[in-house]
Amino acid sequence: MIITKKKDFQELMENIKNYKSFFLIGCSECAALCGTGGEPEVKAMKEALEAEGKIVTGGIVAKTGCQVLGTKTELKKYKEEMDKAECILVMSCGAGTQAAVEIFEDKPVYPTNDSLFLGNMTRFQMFDERCSLCGECILDKTGGICPITACPKGLLNGPCGGCKDGHCEVSPDIKCAWVRIYERMKRLDKLQELCEMTLEAKDWSASQKPRSLVAREEKKR
Amino acid sequence: MSFKDALDSVRFVVTAEVGPPKGTDIKEMIHHMELLKGRVDAVNVTDNQSAVMRICSLSVCKIALEHGLEPILQMTCRDRNRIALQSDLLGANVLGIKNLLCMTGDHVSAGDHKGAKPVYDVESVQLLRIVDGLNNGKDMAGNELKGATDFFQGAVVTPEANPVEPQLIKFEKKVRAGARFFQTQAIYDIEKFRGFMEYARKFSVKILAGIVVLKGAGMANFINNNVPGIRVPQGLIDELKAAGKEKALDTGLNIAARHIRQLKEDGISDGVHIMAIGMEDKVPVIMQRAGLL
Repeated sequence: MIITKKKDFQELMENIKNYKSFFLIGCSECAALCGTGGEPEVKAMKEALEAEGKIVTGGIVAKTGCQVLGTKTELKKYKEEMDKAECILVMSCGAGTQAAVEIFEDKPVYPTNDSLFLGNMTRFQMFDERCSLCGECILDKTGGICPITACPKGLLNGPCGGCKDGHCEVSPDIKCAWVRIYERMKRLDKLQELCEMTLEAKDWSASQKPRSLVAREEKKR
Repeated sequence: MSFKDALDSVRFVVTAEVGPPKGTDIKEMIHHMELLKGRVDAVNVTDNQSAVMRICSLSVCKIALEHGLEPILQMTCRDRNRIALQSDLLGANVLGIKNLLCMTGDHVSAGDHKGAKPVYDVESVQLLRIVDGLNNGKDMAGNELKGATDFFQGAVVTPEANPVEPQLIKFEKKVRAGARFFQTQAIYDIEKFRGFMEYARKFSVKILAGIVVLKGAGMANFINNNVPGIRVPQGLIDELKAAGKEKALDTGLNIAARHIRQLKEDGISDGVHIMAIGMEDKVPVIMQRAGLL
């Protein structure tokens, strides 16, 4: 899921200081799980804004805020509330915010969150980054642990000299990705494979931005 | 005799290090070069060491050449993508810089521009392959070069890494990728290093043992607590402590000289790489005490 973090409230207030009335859009997917845009957070935001003298004309928790058409349909019945608002506040990720930008052509749309990474939830509201969406998965070669993500240098052929007692030079809180890969390959009895493999430099054109994808088969007319 | 020829001969080879300064005042650096000239086989020029921005390695290598020293260009993958790496390598080669040390490079978080974007488009093993390609007249994308390079390329290895096995796997990848020589991270336990060398001797590469002078027990403890891949045995820490504050540095120089002498006399390594880290003027002293001058 997409991991988000609430912006500092004072920073948000500074960003929206020129507007008086707001319509809030949360998201029931990632943002709800991150505690940044579910029902309780949208309600709390409404109260916090009102305490600052702002007007909240209404709000919804979109089912999937990054889905443009679906969100647009969900919003239809809130026309009056949205019309009354000077500004739309989106309480999900950058994708959700930009879905709203597409929907609200003539209204300013502001994010309440910072979007961080594609994350795994390890415990309730605890997240780890394990995939960088590089466009060309190498997990088949590295024992299922991604060094592009788990190593701060994204090294593809083993640990650097900065590995101290199995931990990373960048932070002792990070376990060396290549020690993890080594240990896993050893457990899977695949050390020989690891020793013999030299990975080629990555083809970064696979992550050339902005990316788009048409996954559906076009219907024949 | 060139650095490469020296390594190919039976002679015990000595390299030292020149750290480019931060700024355009190069007087002190030139002074260090003069001290090393004629005494060492080659000097490594560090590449924005510890991710601290300084004069680039390439231009200091050129200055070293002009001062009669044979440079080893340290080339890290931290700050350049594959285009910049290859371009700098071609540039270095036409300036007469023939020796390379291919490294990953300390992460920007260690340095003085912590907000910099780390590059690592390729890493040390892939960089060695790139160099091998350039030496064979092809760039990384397989395009023909108008004139091949003639680099003598090396890499680094950390014999005291913990755990060591993943490091050794990478060491072997570097050998396969074309590394001709290795300079090791600092070593202080000669007996342990002897064990590493027994393993490393299976490969036809030359190995220079890393020597870093201990200035005192405090530095030794700091290394043990903070620096990855280096371990100072308690015996040496005790020796430095017993020497007292005034004699600590002198004792550190003696330890370095003693280790070098043993590495040479027992034929453990092909030479040493002395990293003086701010004490370049002490390199001749160490060499003298080790019986190399």
